[in-house]
Amino acid sequence: MAAGIVPPFLLDRIASTDDPRLARAAAAARKTLAMPRPPRPARTRLRLSIDEGALVAEAVPAPDRIISDAQNAELLPGRRVRSEDEPATGDAAVDEAYDGLGATYDFFWDAFARDGIDGAGGSLLATVHFGDDYDNAFWNGERMVFGDGDGEVFVGFTRSLSVIAHELAHGVTEAAGGLEYQGQSGALNESLSDVFGVLAEQHHLGQRADEATWLVGAGIFADAVEGVALRSVSDPGTAYDDDVLGRDPQPGHMRDYVNTQDDNGGVHINSGIPNRAFFLVASALGGFAWERAGLIWYRTLTSGTLSVTADFSAFATATRAAAAAEYGEESEEVAAVRAAWAGVGVEEDDAA
Amino acid sequence: MTQPDQDTAPRLIIVVARSGGLAGLTREWRAEADPEREPRWRELVESCPWDATPPPARGADRFHWRIEVRADAATLHEARLGDTQVSGPWRTLVDEVRSAAA
Repeated sequence: MAAGIVPPFLLDRIASTDDPRLARAAAAARKTLAMPRPPRPARTRLRLSIDEGALVAEAVPAPDRIISDAQNAELLPGRRVRSEDEPATGDAAVDEAYDGLGATYDFFWDAFARDGIDGAGGSLLATVHFGDDYDNAFWNGERMVFGDGDGEVFVGFTRSLSVIAHELAHGVTEAAGGLEYQGQSGALNESLSDVFGVLAEQHHLGQRADEATWLVGAGIFADAVEGVALRSVSDPGTAYDDDVLGRDPQPGHMRDYVNTQDDNGGVHINSGIPNRAFFLVASALGGFAWERAGLIWYRTLTSGTLSVTADFSAFATATRAAAAAEYGEESEEVAAVRAAWAGVGVEEDDAA
Repeated sequence: MTQPDQDTAPRLIIVVARSGGLAGLTREWRAEADPEREPRWRELVESCPWDATPPPARGADRFHWRIEVRADAATLHEARLGDTQVSGPWRTLVDEVRSAAA
């Protein structure tokens, strides 16, 4: 089934509303849902594994990656240079993006049975070599875009799987209904990308919560920069301390919340608070972080009930509800979620 | 309109600040117009559409730009732009300020 611009879950919600003010929209949504969709061949692959001594073969969905090269201009999409099933090109950025998208796709499928950004097997589009000495990677609403860095501070953004997964996760958040990119909802949007970014890396490396670095963007700084990564999910504010860049400004607690007009109200700064909350849940539960903590966060994002303007407190409440729905009100998962949000000062811990 | 006397007119200062991006880092560049280059800087500044409201940008991790023109303590112009809006005269102004500050 081809994906439309409006995700199916949203159409379902609009179609089923009985609000008289939305009668026209509901009728239009029902009509859209009833339209036959042009068929799209589903990509599948055979995966072999061994389970308790038995060989298991299963057909699972496969990604559809398309990598383009902007050739150092700031024009998108650029020239298509590698599509699905094509061999490595020898261009490191192209091949890192291709492999990174594949690893991130595998993570979302294995952990949450999500088939790509739109959940319906849509193509994963990326452009590399964007701009001249361009010090950034971003999601433009349709594709992931990676600069090469200036060589003095940043040495290329495709070197880090957590960065590639961070950008892909912005697409997932948008497809799930979105979080307005401003203030606390914007910081939650950023935090979800950091969380899924580090989880994709942990999944790829087979790391448990207590074995992982929890770093976002390790390996993209030039050697001269005094820092290990862009951000630390486990210990916000400790990723770098450099003469040129200054000190990592992320808070890990509400008492240190940063009020600023820059960066859409500090979306990359205050994301440290929900990042730390996630780490506390994952640490308390142990094991592979994507299995329980990650699932709770994913269910929260994709429940269809999270407001696009949710603040930290609303998100905390939603994660508790997701944990209770998945594991039960009296579960250790709910207790871990409650304690984590109390630990970062977003909520009081009633159980304490 | 009469041109300000170059000896007594306050010096034009242009500040370009870039925030956001994946890294969330803020960088700032500052150019101070010397008398010889003052007409060129004024031309660049006046060619920018300061009153236009930029459309909301899609996506995430884009750069955000704040461009401010001051004379002494007075702010003459200020604009906040998304990365895709920094084109045409804005791009020329930003590039020249960054170049002058380098």
